[in-house]
Amino acid sequence: MTLVIAVVAIVVALASYLTWMAGRLDRLAIRVEAAASALDAQLIRRALVAYELSADPGHGDLQAAARLALDERTGGLDRSSVESDLSRELRAAPEVAANDEMAIAARKVMFARQFHNDAVRDLLALRQRWVVRVLHLYGRARPPSYVEFDADEPTG
Amino acid sequence: MRIGLACPYSWDVPGGVQVHVHDLAETLLRQGHDVSVITPVDDEDLLPPYAVSAGKAMSVPYNGSVTRILFGPLSASRVRRWVREGSFDVVHAHEPTAPSVSLLACLAASGPLVATYHTSNPRSRILTMLQGPLQLALEKVWANIAVSEAARRTVVEHLGVDAVLIPNGVDVAAFAAASPLPELASSRPTIVFVGRIDEPRKGLAVLLEALPMIATAVPDVRLLVAGPGDVSEVEAELDPAIRDRVHMLGLVSDADKPRVFRSADVYVAPNTGQESFGIVLLEAMAAGTPVVASDIDAFRRVLDDGRAGRLFANENPASLAEVMIEVLTSPDIRRDLAEAGSKVVQQYDWSSVAVEIVQVYETVTQDPMLQD
Repeated sequence: MTLVIAVVAIVVALASYLTWMAGRLDRLAIRVEAAASALDAQLIRRALVAYELSADPGHGDLQAAARLALDERTGGLDRSSVESDLSRELRAAPEVAANDEMAIAARKVMFARQFHNDAVRDLLALRQRWVVRVLHLYGRARPPSYVEFDADEPTG
Repeated sequence: MRIGLACPYSWDVPGGVQVHVHDLAETLLRQGHDVSVITPVDDEDLLPPYAVSAGKAMSVPYNGSVTRILFGPLSASRVRRWVREGSFDVVHAHEPTAPSVSLLACLAASGPLVATYHTSNPRSRILTMLQGPLQLALEKVWANIAVSEAARRTVVEHLGVDAVLIPNGVDVAAFAAASPLPELASSRPTIVFVGRIDEPRKGLAVLLEALPMIATAVPDVRLLVAGPGDVSEVEAELDPAIRDRVHMLGLVSDADKPRVFRSADVYVAPNTGQESFGIVLLEAMAAGTPVVASDIDAFRRVLDDGRAGRLFANENPASLAEVMIEVLTSPDIRRDLAEAGSKVVQQYDWSSVAVEIVQVYETVTQDPMLQD
């Protein structure tokens, strides 16, 4: 009898632990997803603002880089190099980078990239736990990946 | 935007975090946001209309000083109710590693959550020890902010969390417009110290040791000491030679603080370490009071490497005396320092700092589909 109670108690404890752990994974996956879509939105916004502000002929390179960043979603381009190029072109055009709206867009990209990679790091750390790995608590979810590109604020 | 701010320390006890939360809340309200603050408080009558009480805090020693915190089932349920009924676009928890309201808010939050780290403490064993349990709360945070490079380093090293840097703000206009307190008016050269008098790392002892040396060159110098702590204990230990030069003002209200700065010729910050940011230095600069400070990292940074305020060798009374004598005896130096300080402090005005914080809020609430 005691044995039965002990076994039941252990099973219940284990089950609630695993449920709780799966909940944690789930919550972190939501955070990663939200951060990824926020980063995406901020990158589009930055490219749009850069495109608009580089209309005059002196900023041809910047406009081309902004255009590429906008096309990237449809064209299957390498995101990291496209976004890094745009950051570089913005640094090369300080008069555009100094524009208020441009500065805000660039700073938000920096924030969004940081918050995204923080979320990825937290989720990866939890996925590496022994119990999570062995029992595949994350189901079929693919491991998240960091987004790396040059996003230094153009105005320093 | 609907913003919920969680403050871990008692609202009616002065402290950098409380002032930060208060000023941020007022600035956000002025900018048209909807703000609610939850905080421990002893006397609920002292709460502004936008703040709610999480209960009374108790005193515990933490991180080398006495901290008043709040943690328990009753406060936990109050914080949960605040989060639920507030239906905030974003919850912003300050100093979430303190066992208090902010940590409870992290645990209760389910949507966009922002955390700000204020403390720097390179040797915190407690933080390292608690890293596991804290991880549960901190992995719910969507965006981390540190108020200084030192605070950022602390969270990176102890918690494995990275943060964006947004400095503390100061209400520059309020400090600049204050008038000196008539009861403190005097033609004598006046130094002011602001901070807890019984907390060794605030460095009052270094200053009191330097005072006799200063008095040999500036005979009628006087020192105003503003800050909470046991006044009689400090007075009893005063060197009799300087007793009549030291005026203990005790705890000064937030309203009087700018006026105390304006009543002095020089503000001195002899802090010996563990300061992550020099908010009081900024307040003195905003008031137009020249600053003399120890050369710890955080102060060196805020004072632009000595250009916006004079630095002396940390924990060195002789060095403090030397610098202080130079500043007290030269109106030109004081005028230049005041001018440089007023310029430097502009970038820390709450109106600009709050804009950056709101940009963080906007970044984490970007996608309305994913909001709770």
